[in-house]
Amino acid sequence: MLTPKERLHNVMKGKSVDRPPCICPGGMMNMVTAELMDAAGIYMPEAHTDAEKMAGLARAVYESGCFENYGVPFCMTIEAEELGARVEMGSLVYEPHVSGYAIESVEEFKKLPRMDTGRGRAKVVLDAIRILKENADSVPVIGNLTGPISTASSVMEPVIFYKELRKKNEQAHAYMEFITSQLITFGRAQIEAGADVIAISDPSGTGEILGPGYFKEFAVTYLNRLLDGLQLEKMGTIVHICGQMSPVYKEVQEVRSSVLSFDSVVPMKEAKANLKDRVLMGNVSTYALEFGEPEKVKTLARGCVKSGSDIISPACGLGMKSPLANVQAILKCLKEDA
Amino acid sequence: MSEKEELLKRLSDGVVDMEEDDVEEAAREYLEAGYPAFDGIMEGLVDGMNRASLLYEEEEYFVTDVLLCSDAMYIGLDILRPFLPEESGEGKKKGVIGVVEGDTHDIGKNLVKIMLETAGFDMVDLGRDVPLTQFIETAKEEGADFICMSTLMTTTMGGMEEVIRMLEEEVMRKKVKVMIGGGPISQKYADKIGADGYSQNAVEAVKLAKRLLNIA
Repeated sequence: MLTPKERLHNVMKGKSVDRPPCICPGGMMNMVTAELMDAAGIYMPEAHTDAEKMAGLARAVYESGCFENYGVPFCMTIEAEELGARVEMGSLVYEPHVSGYAIESVEEFKKLPRMDTGRGRAKVVLDAIRILKENADSVPVIGNLTGPISTASSVMEPVIFYKELRKKNEQAHAYMEFITSQLITFGRAQIEAGADVIAISDPSGTGEILGPGYFKEFAVTYLNRLLDGLQLEKMGTIVHICGQMSPVYKEVQEVRSSVLSFDSVVPMKEAKANLKDRVLMGNVSTYALEFGEPEKVKTLARGCVKSGSDIISPACGLGMKSPLANVQAILKCLKEDA
Repeated sequence: MSEKEELLKRLSDGVVDMEEDDVEEAAREYLEAGYPAFDGIMEGLVDGMNRASLLYEEEEYFVTDVLLCSDAMYIGLDILRPFLPEESGEGKKKGVIGVVEGDTHDIGKNLVKIMLETAGFDMVDLGRDVPLTQFIETAKEEGADFICMSTLMTTTMGGMEEVIRMLEEEVMRKKVKVMIGGGPISQKYADKIGADGYSQNAVEAVKLAKRLLNIA
């Protein structure tokens, strides 16, 4: 019998497994629900700023039979905060979010502080990874990064950012270089702290927003630079991209991650047909997870397996009110069918 | 082509081509030549924005392009609007729009607002991270015909249902249509929380608003 870590490892390397792993990375892909917080007795927003609590909640996700991994953090604001944006920690039910930008134009990026992984919430994440790593021989630890475009458009007003991709193209590239190098610093530190896998979510860098041209020029270029900047001593990488893929399959194929993950608007069959040789992850509807019944969730999870998904996961972050029984149903049915 | 038609075409093309300077120049020449501001807006700027939305619908243009087109349109509007006759604004359907509390992603919301304004709706923009009660209060104060809410985060979706509940409590539900959108939102979710409609993108949002408010 494979351990969860071996199973994920094998899938990422394209080797055969007894059954698909059931994963929810964390970061944008939130896997914490109200019921889970009650079960663990650990709550947000404290878990965003306290390494013990962050690790505790991540461990509860695994121990309560939801997903076969540990994952931290539970938001996508750490990078922006370390780079000078103002962040509100949210509440029990609301995620942290950016409430004030650090710069007004891509031209001003030289004013930004550099990522310092020895302090602030970056350090909290690294400490949480170290804590999780202590007893994690069999469970993969996933560290999360906010993608280059999403970080860049959290440090400054996104509308201005998107416009400046065209209007101040050269400076926009210089800004993206800077942002990406800061993300590499954070990602490398996560791997040093013990993260087996790095998952990158870039919901603001979609083909629908950028169009194929800018998607390639900015999203793909800097995702790849980030992926290439991480050390080789890791199990693998996951890149999650939101939105329709149909305009940009060709460009997505160029993203050099071990795994590609999509949200529920992308039919897994279509993804598999367009990305034949890639390891794909996804995409059980988070709507069904929140409002459906366990049986419905099982049907959808089986559908994902049948359509060619290699790693079964929610299509997006979980809604806070998703019943534990629904969340657990994915892994349950994978085990039943094995 | 008459001089007026030529200027209208320059206004329209300037919007489609995202050329703010061209639009500004054409708008000034148009006024100097003494043509009515209303036609300049409708047959020039709005025509250009409608062409841009069509390109968006055909996946020729993407969100970044449409944002730049709308910048060019608004530059023209700023020049022409002061020369509109007084009575306009009457009889327009009014909507309140915002990103629900807990979320600050507003690209989609901005796009929907632009498209609805282009289509002739009077939009009150509450911005992002909007406290739920503010949707109700503003709708009441402004006598709004509809409320548009969006979010990109699954954790904040629930706020939409809460706004609908508050509308019912205030006995405003029949008077005010509710439309919702955003990444994790779906028609199913709209049905579940009792919203009047869901739209997947900004172009669809305009069609939906027109359908809900019986506008041809």
